[in-house]
Amino acid sequence: MFKFKKSSFVMTTVLAVGLLLSACSGNAANNNGGNAATNAGTETTAPAPEDKGSDKKIVLGFSQIGAESGWRDAETQSIKDTFGSDAQFELKFSDAQQKQENQIKAIRTFISQKVDAIALAPVVESGWETVLEEAKAANIPVFLLDRTVKVSDESLYTSFIGSDFVLEGQNAAKTMMELLGADKQVNIVELQGTVGASAANDRQKGFKEIVDGNPNYKIIKSQSGDFTRAKGKEVMEAFLKSDGKNIQAVYAHNDDMALGAIQAIEEYGLKPGTDIFVVSVDGIKPAFEAIRDGKLNVTVECNPLLGPQLKQAILDFKEGKTLEKWIKSDEDVYFGQKAIDALPNRLY
Amino acid sequence: MKLNLRINQNNIIILSTLLLIILLYGAGSVLYTGFFTWQVFFNLFIDNAYLIIVATGLAFVIITGGIDLSVASVVAFVSVVSAALLQEGMNAYAVMAICLLIGIMFGAAQGYLIQRFDLHPWIVTLAGMFLARGASYFITTQSIVIENATYTAISKFKINLVGSNFISVSVVIALAVVAIAIYVAKYTEFGRAVFAIGGSERSAVLMGLPVPRITVLVYTISGFCSALGGIVFTFYMLSGYNLHLMGMEMDAIAACVIGGILLTGGFGYLVGPLLGVICSGIIQTIVMYQGTLSSWWTKIAVGFLLFLFILLQRVIVIRRQRRRIISHAAGKPAPNGGDRRAPASV
Amino acid sequence: MSSIRKQAASIMHTKIIWPITALAAILLFNLFFVPGFFNIEIKNGHLFGSLIDILNRAAPIMVIAIGMTLVIAKEGIDISVGSVLAIAGAVAISLLGVVPLWMAVVAALIVGVLCGLWNGLLIAYLGIQPMVGTLILMTVGRGIAQLITEGKVLTTDDKAFGFIGKGFFLGLPFSIFIAAFVFLFVLYLKKRTALGLFLEATGTNKISSEYAGVEPRKIYLFVYIVCGLCAAIAGLLVSSNISSADANNAGLWIELDAILAVVIGGTSMRGGRFFLAGTVIGALFIQSLTTTIYSMGVPPERIMVVKAIVVIVVSLMQSDRFRRVFQQKNKQAVAG
Repeated sequence: MFKFKKSSFVMTTVLAVGLLLSACSGNAANNNGGNAATNAGTETTAPAPEDKGSDKKIVLGFSQIGAESGWRDAETQSIKDTFGSDAQFELKFSDAQQKQENQIKAIRTFISQKVDAIALAPVVESGWETVLEEAKAANIPVFLLDRTVKVSDESLYTSFIGSDFVLEGQNAAKTMMELLGADKQVNIVELQGTVGASAANDRQKGFKEIVDGNPNYKIIKSQSGDFTRAKGKEVMEAFLKSDGKNIQAVYAHNDDMALGAIQAIEEYGLKPGTDIFVVSVDGIKPAFEAIRDGKLNVTVECNPLLGPQLKQAILDFKEGKTLEKWIKSDEDVYFGQKAIDALPNRLY
Repeated sequence: MKLNLRINQNNIIILSTLLLIILLYGAGSVLYTGFFTWQVFFNLFIDNAYLIIVATGLAFVIITGGIDLSVASVVAFVSVVSAALLQEGMNAYAVMAICLLIGIMFGAAQGYLIQRFDLHPWIVTLAGMFLARGASYFITTQSIVIENATYTAISKFKINLVGSNFISVSVVIALAVVAIAIYVAKYTEFGRAVFAIGGSERSAVLMGLPVPRITVLVYTISGFCSALGGIVFTFYMLSGYNLHLMGMEMDAIAACVIGGILLTGGFGYLVGPLLGVICSGIIQTIVMYQGTLSSWWTKIAVGFLLFLFILLQRVIVIRRQRRRIISHAAGKPAPNGGDRRAPASV
Repeated sequence: MSSIRKQAASIMHTKIIWPITALAAILLFNLFFVPGFFNIEIKNGHLFGSLIDILNRAAPIMVIAIGMTLVIAKEGIDISVGSVLAIAGAVAISLLGVVPLWMAVVAALIVGVLCGLWNGLLIAYLGIQPMVGTLILMTVGRGIAQLITEGKVLTTDDKAFGFIGKGFFLGLPFSIFIAAFVFLFVLYLKKRTALGLFLEATGTNKISSEYAGVEPRKIYLFVYIVCGLCAAIAGLLVSSNISSADANNAGLWIELDAILAVVIGGTSMRGGRFFLAGTVIGALFIQSLTTTIYSMGVPPERIMVVKAIVVIVVSLMQSDRFRRVFQQKNKQAVAG
């Protein structure tokens, strides 16, 4: 027993030292960068010689929600690629693990590090007032990505770059009616996202607005599939067992749930895309492949590749141009041949 | 003699936690510019005030050998209730009173079920967790912004401490809660009874302590602290949202354990949760300052730092215990208190 | 002697009767309120219907809950199972294209054992409290799983792999055979080996079992390894069912369901005696509840409340004290 303890202590010490060393070496490079950046931020030091005499690096702090889906990941990657490859910029990335309080902490940290701009992909619309005021007081412009915030004073953020979830829901419904025919009797089951998530709320709202305007279309069941494949499949299985042949269409709040539902429909013995019309939102690559295979009918794009637009916005802001309050991301609705043509170019 | 030793053991954990916190903060200050400033230090308290309050309330439950998994949901529920009521135009102080009342009733109900019907706290509070989350879905699935003047005023009120560095009202509330908790645990009959129940419920009954009443009471305290934490959190966020703080109960429990409170009950020091919260706060701040970690490396880094912390803490404690056992073995027979922890895993 | 055995049998009997009642109640409810719930037909050469779905869906929870039962019997808890599940799925699917199927499966299982070993070492040999010890792997584990998949949802077309989680054998889902195998294996350990005796002994009284010559640490280590292995098996089932590994979401919150299944099954969280059959029924109950909620069309924002009420009612039914109070009240009512 004692022997073990001794050896374990040695082991621990070695581990601890090892970690500290690796942390130091790993951070050394970053630390220097951080130094340069913060110094530059205060504009007291002369630009470093290797900066070719041009202006200082622009430090961008990016607070991301997390990595809960492939879509989110594509967004992170787009930002990292855009700013990582550009010597003009330095990116500070912070992952909030789905928690708003972590995002607020991250923004506070960015402020204390005196970054030049903050990009925020808010996990929810509300609750940003206090911390955004702190950012404004520190004269740091804040750019919102993919979802906006509810604040009493719109000057708290510079611009919002992203899409409109309500519009996505509306487009999903409109395209469905276009392709199926507005006078056909259609019973729809809906696979919602995580209860309370704003993407789920708004995509439901937009879809319902259009469907309610047509008496032939009815949402007969609506259940949360938590934005995941596994839950989407499980819920769809239950729907098929209880309503079976009565279902003509599925509307999923994201592609992952739709892909799960497609599996459930196949295992039930029906043909997704033919027997049951499937429409979803996001436009990830596997969804395009499913359209090619005839299993998915429509995907409404929600573009995660916001890096280039964000970069342009920051540069414009630095030059003193006035920015639009809402910079809409480039988005489209894909189905049929259009989707198949677009497939080779899909990045995520 | 025995009692003395126990308090000493608590001291070791608290002191080692404190030492490690200083080390961790020192490491952060050496590695990152702008880390060693008053505001960063104060931010640890500002950002975690609600967690300090919740964890301190939870500590009472844990010391009796119970657990409360509903805390995070209650905080979220309180935020939604406050936001909804304020939206209706209710007076801010009335809203706060209602929230505290909800917390007290919720906690008392859980305590009653646990005590009266001998249900396991895990299950009752797990149901409580579902119930509080579910109840806030009933109110709304949207997030509500709070525009009430009193709430925004409190939220934005800054207390300047050192130069222009500030703390918020919430920090004062949190520190007051910790101070009261330390006093209650150490100097009141109730506090001693809590420890007695955690040590051995049967002996506590035989000692004639009002075990049922105290059991209900600790859950009520936890409910109250969750509600108070919820109000403080509402100041912090100025919004009500039912997906707030998913999984925060684990942070609160971890804070208690890192602060040296034994999950099997009977041991603990009420300043512990505060230290535990600060520790995880520093870990998070370091990871944020690092600024290049991808999502998954963030998780791994946070977990690994947590592991390292707990490991070092254990090593310090085990070594001290061993020395004590050896020194005692040389003189007198080893006392019970030292033996109790030796066979690992509690 | 025989009376003691009889008594023991009757305790066992009362312990398991409550989860069975709960399961029966929910099935009965379905009989009346969900038309077609009990329909079982033969489609594509296998049985087909809601009940079969429940069996298939309950398999992962069942497997994890069996492992969890052992851990809980040792006064422990393992909240890292969800993350281990995600790692195992990610390992299996990321290896599938590279190595043969059996190797990918074995690799996933080995990873599960390693995760269990890690937990066990922290808890048994370093004396870290179980909830916090496993909290570390819960956090790190999901990060590792995401690292393996690079945050993406990995997919596979491997038909043989898909068979594990959605194939049918003798007309029944194959996953249920795996769950049954795990159940029987652990039951065998418990009933027929000396290890089984130790399993229950160290939980009931640590110090006395130490005097009896049982080395408790090895037992602790063992149960966490089994739990890790079970989580890995569940990971294979889940990832095979959807033919993809979703490191971000696979097994999220499954530890709560598993613990619930164990407790509904009658095993006390204070350690000691454990009831494997009860756990299995508990898992079936939880899945039946979920499937019922989906088929009934309960609005998603109500699910949490429904679940909370059901959990409270079931645990009240199990409580001896509650029944006593209830019976007394009834008597008083009759008398008055």
